[in-house]
Amino acid sequence: MYIIKNAMRNISRSLGRNILIGIIAFVIAVSSTVAISIKQSAQTAEAEALKNLTITASIGIDRTKLQSEAGTDRTVFRELLSSVETLSLEDMQKYSASTEVKAFNYSLESSLSGSDSFEAYTETDTVVAATDDTKDINAPVKENLGGFSGIGQQGDFTVIGYNNTGGMSNFISGENKISDGTLFNFTNDNTCVISDTLAAYNDLAVGDTITVTNPNLDTENYILTISGIYTSTSTSDSSIEMKFSTAQDPANQIYTSYSTLSAITTASSTDATVSTNTDGVELTTALRSTISGVYSFANIEDYNDYKDNLTNMGLSDNYTLTSTDVTQYEASLAPINNLSNFANIFLILVLSIGGVILVVLNIFNIRERKYEVGVLTAIGMKKYKVATQFMTELFMVTFVSIIIGTMAGAFISVPTANYLLENQISAAQSTETQQAQNLGQVGSGGGLGIAPVSTESVNYLDNINASIDLSVTAQLMGIGVLLTIVSSLGAMIFIVRFEPLKILSNRN
Amino acid sequence: MSILKLDNLTYSYDGGKKNILNGINLEFEKGKIYAIIGKSGEGKTTTLSLLSGLTSPTKGHIYYDDKDLNKIDKYKYRSKMVGVIFQGYNLLPQLTAEENVILALDLAGKKIKHKKEVAKNALLSVELGGDKVRRRILKLSGGEQQRVAIARTLCYEPDIIFADEPTGNLDNDTGDGIMKIFSKLASEQNKCVIIVTHSDKVASFADKVITLKDGLAE
Repeated sequence: MYIIKNAMRNISRSLGRNILIGIIAFVIAVSSTVAISIKQSAQTAEAEALKNLTITASIGIDRTKLQSEAGTDRTVFRELLSSVETLSLEDMQKYSASTEVKAFNYSLESSLSGSDSFEAYTETDTVVAATDDTKDINAPVKENLGGFSGIGQQGDFTVIGYNNTGGMSNFISGENKISDGTLFNFTNDNTCVISDTLAAYNDLAVGDTITVTNPNLDTENYILTISGIYTSTSTSDSSIEMKFSTAQDPANQIYTSYSTLSAITTASSTDATVSTNTDGVELTTALRSTISGVYSFANIEDYNDYKDNLTNMGLSDNYTLTSTDVTQYEASLAPINNLSNFANIFLILVLSIGGVILVVLNIFNIRERKYEVGVLTAIGMKKYKVATQFMTELFMVTFVSIIIGTMAGAFISVPTANYLLENQISAAQSTETQQAQNLGQVGSGGGLGIAPVSTESVNYLDNINASIDLSVTAQLMGIGVLLTIVSSLGAMIFIVRFEPLKILSNRN
Repeated sequence: MSILKLDNLTYSYDGGKKNILNGINLEFEKGKIYAIIGKSGEGKTTTLSLLSGLTSPTKGHIYYDDKDLNKIDKYKYRSKMVGVIFQGYNLLPQLTAEENVILALDLAGKKIKHKKEVAKNALLSVELGGDKVRRRILKLSGGEQQRVAIARTLCYEPDIIFADEPTGNLDNDTGDGIMKIFSKLASEQNKCVIIVTHSDKVASFADKVITLKDGLAE
């Protein structure tokens, strides 16, 4: 007990020295609080973001692998690419039979043209939207029954057929909303929904019918009934690529059921005319369509497990599972991860430098108090008790400084964290913009008119709730105890080595 | 019966080249005052350091109450069994006179409720009172500091009191007063008081005078 009393008395009677130690401990505490809270909050934000992440993924051809196999030879790469068939719906369904997969949805996409009574929406006169003009640009050889390598003509509309509502991400996210009528039926009843812009453009209402045609054969018509009209928050003028194809304009997207669109494409294939051009390329009037399968996962672990298990399920290594959600999630974390790493390095530096300063300061302190050690041991205080008293003094000063420092750190950690994060995001965005500019991809309304390679921008995690919880406090206390022990260690060694008689003789 | 016994006590330094004490045999009894005198460099202070356990003999043994000092916890010995009044006082400057005395009580493990009262009485016994008891050591004169050093030793009533020139910085009257206290401690409280001194006057208070010469005790 008297050790604590003496320690407290010594603190108050050697204020200058203890204030100096206190300031150093305070600075260490503030810096550590900010660093730890940033680190902790970054982890929490990451976990929260992951928890709220809806993971969807698709199986596609592993182009990276094929590219690496082909090396620099583009012909070999094309051959390899054409040798790998896209997965059929049956294959996709087969791979969906896994416990990791929460849901499997699929959709069919095709491009169809309008008719005299139903035209694609165009925003300005400069937009080449007219059916004929479109064909002029993209398919100068309509008469040849198809475009390059039999890909076929690009239509004015993108028609997407879903097997159920689960895959309708635009509607689930709220980007599109039914504003009039109802959604189409998931049966083959030729019902569809169109955008309010398209409806207004063509003066159409729920219950009206629209006629779409095969862009490869304008005599091939299909009639769909409008069951509903949706509004979209997607802007039609946000990207320069729309100037090349009206089908890519969100206003010109028509949604229907998989069954309806499948029936149309099947009928088109059945009635198609096939010919071969002078280059020996087979051309067909059949509508081109793409089937997409989307696998949903409850969490990232299921996604990773599924990815690992796919080969065991018989999937060739020419295919790979990719998820835009995961890629976006990982990209969105880049600034926060940078910040967390920065916080880590900062913490290590602060602790190292602060620790060294405290050690040196304490050694000087003990040397200065050598006489006190000599007197105390000469009148019968055991060395370990002297060391305990000195350590108690240091601990009290450090502890109080850490408490004050933690409070100050808690106060400034949120603005500091968000300021640093803002800088990180700004740096990341600047790099992104620079890269885009290097590739000639500038914003809408200018540039070289080359469509961006990737139109998806990263939504960075731009706010972290840096806060001090029990865990941070416990870590800080741990740091405090550790610093006290480390900084006292040198001093303790000195005390143990001191011989009272020698100290007192020198003094006398 | 002797409380302290020196058996062939030898002390040398520089690896045995320089002998300070050369096989001293002495016995000290309770209730008596001993004065150790001798010229400078004859080993008076060394003897006191050996007796108080601050250093160990090169050869020979010291027995406290028939127990070999080497086998006794030296810190416990110095804080409870014996009291040392150092020539340079060895007080803690950041503490007041009273706090220095209370610290000695704490180290002796005295379970006393009113330690302040005991400390004040100890200081009063060496004629130090009033506001001086609450003054820090550096604000006291040399003589006053010496009195605090004596009070610090008296307060926990050790069996043996070692004093190195205890009246060196005191005026004649106070010096006499201190010596009277030592005499009283020896005669009334049966303490053994061992004083190292140059002063014949101090030596005159002793029951036995031991002269150190050429490493031997006469």
